[in-house]
Amino acid sequence: MASPKTLPKDAQVMIQILKDMGITEYEPRVINQMLEFTYRYVTTIIEDAKIYATHAKKSTVDAEDIKLAIQCRMDQSFTSPPPRDFLLEVARQKNGTPLPLIKPYTGPRLPPDRYCLTAPNYRLKSIQKKVSSSGGRITVPRLSVGSVSSRPSTPTLGTPSVTPKVATPLSLSGQRFTVQIPSSQTAVSKTVTPSTPTVQNVLINPSLIGSKNILITTKMVSQSSASESMKRKHEDDDDYDNL
Amino acid sequence: MAAVQSGQSETEEEKEIQPETSNDGSRTDGRPPAGSPGGPATSPGAVKPSAPGEEETLRAVLRFLQKNNLSESVEILRREAGLPDEPEDQTGSESSGTGSGGQEAGGGVGDAGSLLSRVSAAPTPAAAAAVAAPPPPPSKVGAGDDRPDVNVVLSAYSQQGDPVLYDVYYSGLKKFIESVLDCHRAELSQVFYPLFVHMYLELVYNNHEAESKAFFEKFSGDQECYYADDLRILSSLSKKEHMRGNETLLDFRTSKFVLRISRDSYQLLKRHLQERQNNQIWTIIQEHLYIDIFDGMPRSKTQIDAMSGSLAGEAKRDSNKAKVFYGLLKEPEIEVPLDDEDEEVENEEGKPKKKKPKKDSLGNKSKKQDPNAPQQNRIPLPELKDSDKLDKIMNLKEATKRVRLGRDTLPSICFYSFLNAYQGLTAVDFTDDSSLIAGGYADSTVRVWSVTPKKLRRVKSAADLSLIDKESDDVLERIMDEKTASESKILHGHSGPVYGISFSPDRNYLLSCSEDGTVRLWSLQTFTCLVGYKGHNYPVWDTQFSPYGYYFISGGHDRVARLWATDHYQPLRMFAGHLADITCTRFHPNSNYVATGSSDRTIRLWDVLTGNCVRILTGHKGPIHAIAFSPNGKFMASGATDGRVLLWDIGHGIMIGDLKGHTDAIYTLKFSRDGEILASGSMDNTVRLWDAFKAFDELETDDFTATTGHIHLPENSQELLLGTYLTKATPVIHLHFTRRNLLLAAGAYNP
Repeated sequence: MASPKTLPKDAQVMIQILKDMGITEYEPRVINQMLEFTYRYVTTIIEDAKIYATHAKKSTVDAEDIKLAIQCRMDQSFTSPPPRDFLLEVARQKNGTPLPLIKPYTGPRLPPDRYCLTAPNYRLKSIQKKVSSSGGRITVPRLSVGSVSSRPSTPTLGTPSVTPKVATPLSLSGQRFTVQIPSSQTAVSKTVTPSTPTVQNVLINPSLIGSKNILITTKMVSQSSASESMKRKHEDDDDYDNL
Repeated sequence: MAAVQSGQSETEEEKEIQPETSNDGSRTDGRPPAGSPGGPATSPGAVKPSAPGEEETLRAVLRFLQKNNLSESVEILRREAGLPDEPEDQTGSESSGTGSGGQEAGGGVGDAGSLLSRVSAAPTPAAAAAVAAPPPPPSKVGAGDDRPDVNVVLSAYSQQGDPVLYDVYYSGLKKFIESVLDCHRAELSQVFYPLFVHMYLELVYNNHEAESKAFFEKFSGDQECYYADDLRILSSLSKKEHMRGNETLLDFRTSKFVLRISRDSYQLLKRHLQERQNNQIWTIIQEHLYIDIFDGMPRSKTQIDAMSGSLAGEAKRDSNKAKVFYGLLKEPEIEVPLDDEDEEVENEEGKPKKKKPKKDSLGNKSKKQDPNAPQQNRIPLPELKDSDKLDKIMNLKEATKRVRLGRDTLPSICFYSFLNAYQGLTAVDFTDDSSLIAGGYADSTVRVWSVTPKKLRRVKSAADLSLIDKESDDVLERIMDEKTASESKILHGHSGPVYGISFSPDRNYLLSCSEDGTVRLWSLQTFTCLVGYKGHNYPVWDTQFSPYGYYFISGGHDRVARLWATDHYQPLRMFAGHLADITCTRFHPNSNYVATGSSDRTIRLWDVLTGNCVRILTGHKGPIHAIAFSPNGKFMASGATDGRVLLWDIGHGIMIGDLKGHTDAIYTLKFSRDGEILASGSMDNTVRLWDAFKAFDELETDDFTATTGHIHLPENSQELLLGTYLTKATPVIHLHFTRRNLLLAAGAYNP
């Protein structure tokens, strides 16, 4: 570290300021940080002041502009907590309501879901492959990446997940990923996916997702497994391309 | 406020000769007014005896016009009113119609000043001249009312007085106080600090920069040492704009500084100030200070020093009068199943059976409600789940194996040093059964470790959960995913250093609060974040779960402490009243009260039910960082950056002990499980043990003590100190007594 004699003047000034404010122990990098902050702050203020001066059609920047610049910046970046009387008033109102009663036996007591951080926080891209049109019911099950319905199929505390067994008419056993789908009829009617209403998408537990982010979409009515598997293989390649 | 005593004009002439003489010349005694009436008549520009009130009004108007440079109007008025030609004096008008006009030392226009003083002094001496020798004190104030209109005009400047004369006033007061009787001196010296600050702030507020600097330099050295930090902050404020950003100082300016003075001392002070022209001081005292008068003996310096130090003076008498239910809630009766783990099965089977039920229902003997305990349903508390009951049974079992601590049996201390934290460890907490430790870091992570050999496991994913047999006995084991077993888990989520951590009593949740203004609830089953409670928009310095779970409090930079429930996204209660940041928040063992310690050096006790502040406790000389309640709920201990631990009786709201010994800030305090020992940990790398039983033993607190603040602190810190344990280079930031009274301590190794 440079000895005080050879420190730049700004640094010496900063050291003096720290001393005046009673700060005796500090790491050497603090001076640099403070100088950086000072430089950034002062240039911001002066630039703002220049803008105000030109706005007021003045040729030079004067103290009024600087004062205005400081004031505006203070309200923006260096806000301070609300004043005491305001807080007292707000507190008075809030403390007037009685404490709410606690419902017994409700499991984990958490706020409504929209205020919690328990919802899945990602969506997977939707790729629509084929829509068959037999009476509105798609017969070909396919493997595709689709958008997710944000309704987890099983109640969990974390991410929605996929069970190893499938309780659907489609027997996808033997596949890498299997999907549990709630009763398809009702599910489809409620599904909110922007893709075709016949496609129901379910998110796979991310921990099961390997290199492929593949979402299994299942249809309401299944076909024979053989054709399924063939189709699926087909889809795999396509999906690779798309991914 | 044109209260000037009649005698003032007498010394006016002296003033004219020696403008620099401060008014304290011989003013300490009440001067006989008799000598004065002659005075005004001899001064130049004598008051016309006829219609003196009118004359003065005219003069005052003249002054006003001159001040505003309305020279033509001045001429016209003068001509028409037939007032004698007087020398202009610009500065004289600035020094208001209050007594300050008399000493126009700074203005240098002595006679004009004297004229003005006569304008204000006139009523009294005029009355005095007319009627010889009226008693000055009562009439002064009345005199001011004779000319209310002019007063209003002149009082526009009286807010500030003459800046140059602040110096004079203050030293005048200083001389007076130094000359009073010893017994009163200590009490009256309390006035110095608030007066100094308010005068300085007024000078700054009214843009008298040079005078404010001079004032500060001259008198800041006289203040008590424990105000040094505040004075340093004050010294950095030299302009009005600086004041605007500093909330604490603005609050200081608007709130009243409370002083407790005995009646006799107060009379002395009042008499003195009203005798002299120091009405500036009197104005300030009336506006900004709240003097709580009590009847009785004046307090000694040590007593005053013990209680003072806070930013807002001491506490008013009636702020500590509300009844506080400090008793504990009754434990629910639980049947402890007799199983073979119990070592006391040596006794005949019959005996333990009978003993057990008695032990469970701890309050069984006293079936009546403890008068000092709150009702069970005063605040809604969550019901006891089966797991809670099991916990309680474990607790009771452990309690039987608890070591009885005392003067001769000190606890063993087990220290957990956090390595490689590089000063980044900002918060630590243990679970109640001491099985988990959590550390909050400045890099915004929270780490949880398992203290026991049992590793930390996550709950299985929902996919796997549906596979397990829900009816099996060890279902709680089976839901855990073995693949995720590890010694520690890291929780990411905050965006700023984590300053406070708290485990929930049922070990399901962890709370953390951080500089980013949020309080996060983490699940210890899945080790993910569940909720972020947003409400403070400024750093949150401390948070704690209630001893019964479900509620938690947080306090931060916005000077407000909030009470939340885990299932409400907004706070249920807001505790506002502190003047500076809240640095420490703690629940009372019965969960009905919350104690908050703040940077304004006071501790406030709040009622959860109503949100009212029921106790204000002053006495610390630095921001308070540690608060602990004794297990029986009656007493509280607090530690601050001044290195002292103060003991408080909550019921009466007074200080009952002062433990000196630490040399640096105290960051953690804990009572042992039965309240026998108080452990304190501080930045000076030591853990100290104090004898709490003895400290709370002899107590004679009565109402007199509470009202007057005549606390008697026994100087027994040395006797109460049972042991000092040094660490190598590790400041102690958390202490915890296990259920068997083993002391655990935690800190970050900081070589």
